Amino acid sequence: MYELSGVTKRYTRGKATVHALDGVDLTIADGDRLVIQGPTGGGKSTLLQMLGALDRPSSGEIVLDGTDLATLPEARLTRVRSESIGFVFQSFNLIPTLTAQENVETALVPLGVRAKDRREKAAEALASVGLGERRGHLPGEMSGGQQQRVAIARALVKQPKVLLADEPTGNLDESTRDEIMDVLDRMWKELGLTFVMVTHDSAIAKKAPRVATIRKGRITVKENASA
Amino acid sequence: MFFTYLRRELRRRRKAALVVASGLALGIALVIVVDSVSAGMGRAQDKVLQSLYGLGTDMTVTKAAEASSGTTAEWPRFRFDAQDDGSEKEQSTDRVMVQGFQTLASSTVGKVAGQSGVADAVGGLSLQVVKVSGEFSRGQFQQDASGGGAGQGRGGGPGGGQSPQGRVQGGGADFDVNSYSVYGTDVAEPALGPLTTSTITGGRTFKESETDAKVAVADAAYAKEKKLKTGSTVTVKDTKFEIVGIATADSGDAAADLYVPLKQAQTLGDAKDKVTTIYVRATDSQRIDGVKSAVQKNVPGTTVTTSADLADTVSGSLSTASSLATSVGKWLSIVVLVAAFLVAGLLTSSAVSRRVREFGTLKALGWRSGRVTRQVIGEAVVNGLVGGALGIALGLAGAWVVTAVSPTLQAQLGGGTGGGRGAGGPGGFGGMGGPGRQTAARTLDIALTAPVSLTTIVLAVALAVAGGLVAGGFGGWRASRLRPADALRRVE
Repeated sequence: MYELSGVTKRYTRGKATVHALDGVDLTIADGDRLVIQGPTGGGKSTLLQMLGALDRPSSGEIVLDGTDLATLPEARLTRVRSESIGFVFQSFNLIPTLTAQENVETALVPLGVRAKDRREKAAEALASVGLGERRGHLPGEMSGGQQQRVAIARALVKQPKVLLADEPTGNLDESTRDEIMDVLDRMWKELGLTFVMVTHDSAIAKKAPRVATIRKGRITVKENASA
Repeated sequence: MFFTYLRRELRRRRKAALVVASGLALGIALVIVVDSVSAGMGRAQDKVLQSLYGLGTDMTVTKAAEASSGTTAEWPRFRFDAQDDGSEKEQSTDRVMVQGFQTLASSTVGKVAGQSGVADAVGGLSLQVVKVSGEFSRGQFQQDASGGGAGQGRGGGPGGGQSPQGRVQGGGADFDVNSYSVYGTDVAEPALGPLTTSTITGGRTFKESETDAKVAVADAAYAKEKKLKTGSTVTVKDTKFEIVGIATADSGDAAADLYVPLKQAQTLGDAKDKVTTIYVRATDSQRIDGVKSAVQKNVPGTTVTTSADLADTVSGSLSTASSLATSVGKWLSIVVLVAAFLVAGLLTSSAVSRRVREFGTLKALGWRSGRVTRQVIGEAVVNGLVGGALGIALGLAGAWVVTAVSPTLQAQLGGGTGGGRGAGGPGGFGGMGGPGRQTAARTLDIALTAPVSLTTIVLAVALAVAGGLVAGGFGGWRASRLRPADALRRVE
């Protein structure tokens, strides 16, 4: 469970100070599915990075299951990322020289999983996203949708508590977008994840039970009764 | 995962890896070539010194040069009587001189041998023989028609008596000059002295019992010129010596044309109980300087010359090339290596810049900075090792080419040091110097080789690893400073 209070993130560019987040208060319960929307430069990705322990706020608290990520030492933050948080990026961010199987295995490396177990778990994760037959392929040999499935398998292979997705369908066509969203929704339901997704896509937002909108660093959250 | 990732990355960035490896390879190859050529120079210098000293000799002791007294040395004089016209009788005479006209008493050998740190000392006597042989006939006096009867002039001059009018016709001289060197060697000490610079290639060397025997060992080149072989005889100042062996110089010129037992040489040179050079072997190479000081202090009137002293007198292309190898070559290697290290470092750092999103992603997945840094360093070290392997191959090829071409270097050994004989082969006077002059300049042709030692290879591997670590250090430092959020924010 996330509990954010008074989270502020300031960037200084020359003499100007930009408030990417400005006093954000937000609670995300375990198993929640939250979509974050807003204009470009509004602070969506910055909030996602705070939730993913990739960056620290200038002020405020980000408590994940009782631990304040804002004050945690770097080594502990790294550990939180490796154990509890899965990421899916808009550009897939796969290692181009590694096969699909090896890309998935990279998420298990920091956990110290033995090579044999890594291979088995990665193969299972790829099979769960429908890519069991493509595990020996390099990212360059796969379509955008397939690459994003590999990225999803990589995010979920370690069975994290939280899945954070930054525009996961932003680089995909409509039909592939639906495929990917089906996979993500299925995983969310099957694994009981806390799922936070940044998207510009209104069609996706309409299906989410909670939608947060960020404008100029300020957040508003709406419950979506129709979802 | 470490090796899989490393292998794939190196394969993907083949061109960049090749550039880094090539730079390091060039530097390492240069180090190998310079190092091996320097070693070759060292060997060449050793050969030059060995050609003078022979194996096992650490230093020589000679008589110290005396201040010039204004008197000249006793040069040989040759006297011939003219023969009657038509006589074809050949006249011949030879003179034996002590090389350099400076001798030490034989007892000095014992004094030197008694010094602390001296393992062995033997004396030798270097002689120069000049032989003049030929015909010298009288001229015929022809009286003018107005004068009296024909008379005979002596030596081309007018005859005695009344002064008849006429002129001398015919007569004159036709003679050859033959000069060669003879070395009196201590046959009881075959392991030390100038004969050790040669290998017996025919017959045998001296027996220890032949201390005063009329036997000789001839230098192969001299024997060939004079058609000498084992069993034949050679006459030196009316003394016949049986050739018992042929010696071939290991490098350059031989120390002498003929080697005879020391006592015989002393008799020939009219130098009873005299030696020109004492060859000394120290008990320990570390004690050479100490022995030198002890001899100079305790045996007055001597000059002690060590290998190091002699090496300082080496000049010519060998010396120039040696200086080039040790100065220019060394600095060139260092500059190229430093440049290669820097280029490798900058290229690795640049490669990290192009991979910020990749490393950012790995950090987002929970990879610690140390693991990412190790990955970068690992790739750089492998690059370095590839460069090292290429460099070693290139360096070995370079050293092989140098050895195959074997450029000839000239070593000129300046005079003023003991132990050597004067320059000038048979038939010349080049080796004779004035009083106080120990040896004349001597030139040797030495073929340059480039031996590659195991130490050089180990050095090359160490440089390759160091190059990889330097490059990896640059890149790894950069990778470790990447913040995942910044890395992921970067648009590629």
